[in-house]
Amino acid sequence: MSLTVKVEFGGGLELLFNNQRVHSVTLPSTTPSSTTTTPTAEPTLSNLISHLATTLLTDRPELFIEKDSVRPGILVLVNDTDWELEGEGAYQIKDGDEVVFISTLHGG
Amino acid sequence: MSSCGNPATETDALMKRRPKFDKTRDCVKCKENTGNIVIRHAVYCKACFTPMISFKFRRGLEPFVNDEPQGSRRKGLKASGNLLVGLSGGVGSTVLLDLIHQSYFATRTDVTGGKDHPRNEAIWPKGRICYVEICNAFPDMRDRTEEVRSAASKYDSLEFLPLRLEDAFDESWWISVGGKPNSENLSVDFSDEDLLISNISNDSSRDIHPIPRLRSFLSTLPTQTAISRTVPTLVRLLLLYTARTTGSSHLVLGTSLTSLSISLISSISQGAGYVVREEAQEEWQGNGLAKPIRIIRPLRDIGMKECAAWAWWHGLKIVRKERIPGGTQDIAVLTKEFIVGLEKDYPSTVSTIARTCGKLAPKQGSVRACILCERPVQDGIEDWKSKTSLRTLSGTKEASMQSPSYPQHLTPHLCYACHTTLTSRSSRGALHTGSSRVSLPVWVNSGLAKPTRHEVSPILEEVDSEKTLGSEVWQLRTLKEEDMKQAISGFLLETD
Repeated sequence: MSLTVKVEFGGGLELLFNNQRVHSVTLPSTTPSSTTTTPTAEPTLSNLISHLATTLLTDRPELFIEKDSVRPGILVLVNDTDWELEGEGAYQIKDGDEVVFISTLHGG
Repeated sequence: MSSCGNPATETDALMKRRPKFDKTRDCVKCKENTGNIVIRHAVYCKACFTPMISFKFRRGLEPFVNDEPQGSRRKGLKASGNLLVGLSGGVGSTVLLDLIHQSYFATRTDVTGGKDHPRNEAIWPKGRICYVEICNAFPDMRDRTEEVRSAASKYDSLEFLPLRLEDAFDESWWISVGGKPNSENLSVDFSDEDLLISNISNDSSRDIHPIPRLRSFLSTLPTQTAISRTVPTLVRLLLLYTARTTGSSHLVLGTSLTSLSISLISSISQGAGYVVREEAQEEWQGNGLAKPIRIIRPLRDIGMKECAAWAWWHGLKIVRKERIPGGTQDIAVLTKEFIVGLEKDYPSTVSTIARTCGKLAPKQGSVRACILCERPVQDGIEDWKSKTSLRTLSGTKEASMQSPSYPQHLTPHLCYACHTTLTSRSSRGALHTGSSRVSLPVWVNSGLAKPTRHEVSPILEEVDSEKTLGSEVWQLRTLKEEDMKQAISGFLLETD
């Protein structure tokens, strides 16, 4: 089983992803978990970010990712909602979700 | 007295991180809808977000439209001139343009009383959009003019005026905006601490085209920080002179709260603390202006996150900016990284920076404007700098510091920040190894041809010299301490 997520980039971030604004990303419906009590877990936004960085990112990863999250200055919307309201990286992705990454770093 | 505890051994000793939002996920305004965005710990739904941003924008602009403050009796808004919108293609200015258009220039369908009713009269007779392209300043930089023009084309009631950064070194542009050219072509030597000026009119090897002049000027600046500071200064002056030419009473810029906080900290760290208020808002008294032009930043209470959300939800096109090459460790970049990181974890502190700086005011008034950035200069700054920094190992020339050596040196005509920008040396060594003599921006060249604008006292090259100017005889001589005390003896209090 897999999940399909629509990913969009804005504010110039698309340049880091082959200059393509919209991507359809397929993730496995479960991902390995480090805890022994729950050996598998649904993918989270953190998993999606890592997946994007390793598979779709074509240029300058430091402009998109920092440690295990997105670089400061990147606004993340999950289904048109600020990811801070959804638990940020811990949000568990569902099939058909729309995730938008917008760079706010291009000033005035 | 209890101790704070050791977080390594006591988990309760570590202060819990404040939640990203207060209370519930419901909108704090309507309290009905589920929130869509968190702004400094407050949750707003999409429906309430838009009017909230519009309100903040109007609050940041409308009190400064009329010539006189509105006071307790609110009158209609009526500007004394046109409006010029500075557009860079970035998030802030794109959002600003959208708000300006929808608030003041879009065709309205809710007019009452007829289109000729006074309350439906346009605040500004005409609005224009001005974009300054910087690509020719650096090699291999993309020209964004047509992309920005395309993004601005949807606002067809506003005329689009493209400029280029090299216009700052173009005499024909200077004449087109009403500037008076200097018959002499002056250059400045960046290797000289006092910024020696010389006339290169007869130098056949001098650059006569604006682009080489611009590139030479920027590449000869002593540090990367200086380049990052000088480019926005040139852009600002180009916009101001364009505003003057177009009869604009207001120049609006899309500086967001985040960008403002960055520029405040960055400029203060580069010696521009005296004009910290001007970073948020200023009035420019250009030559020949009956009334000053107001530079307003209506988005100064709106963070970058809110601007990005507005741009996304309203389908605005953002034109990607080109990064100034080489700028990874300059003060502006480092400050931006710090502030953006701060905004992620502690968003309220970013607004605190802007609010605190807004309370600052200089102790003394200003007697003149800097010839380069045309912002107020702190009185007595030359004397202060000569006493605080070791500038030369040879004998100090006190006479030349007290009376500007026009037109020999540029230093007495600059503010502290601009002088620091042009002379501060990098610990990593000079960026440029060629000639350090470069042409000056056209308004500086023109300003040096007008001694009455920036000169404080007449030219006296040597101590104990005398010069006749018109019907006046000026003399410069050193005074002993006893002589100075004698001169003010009538004002001294008696001491026992």
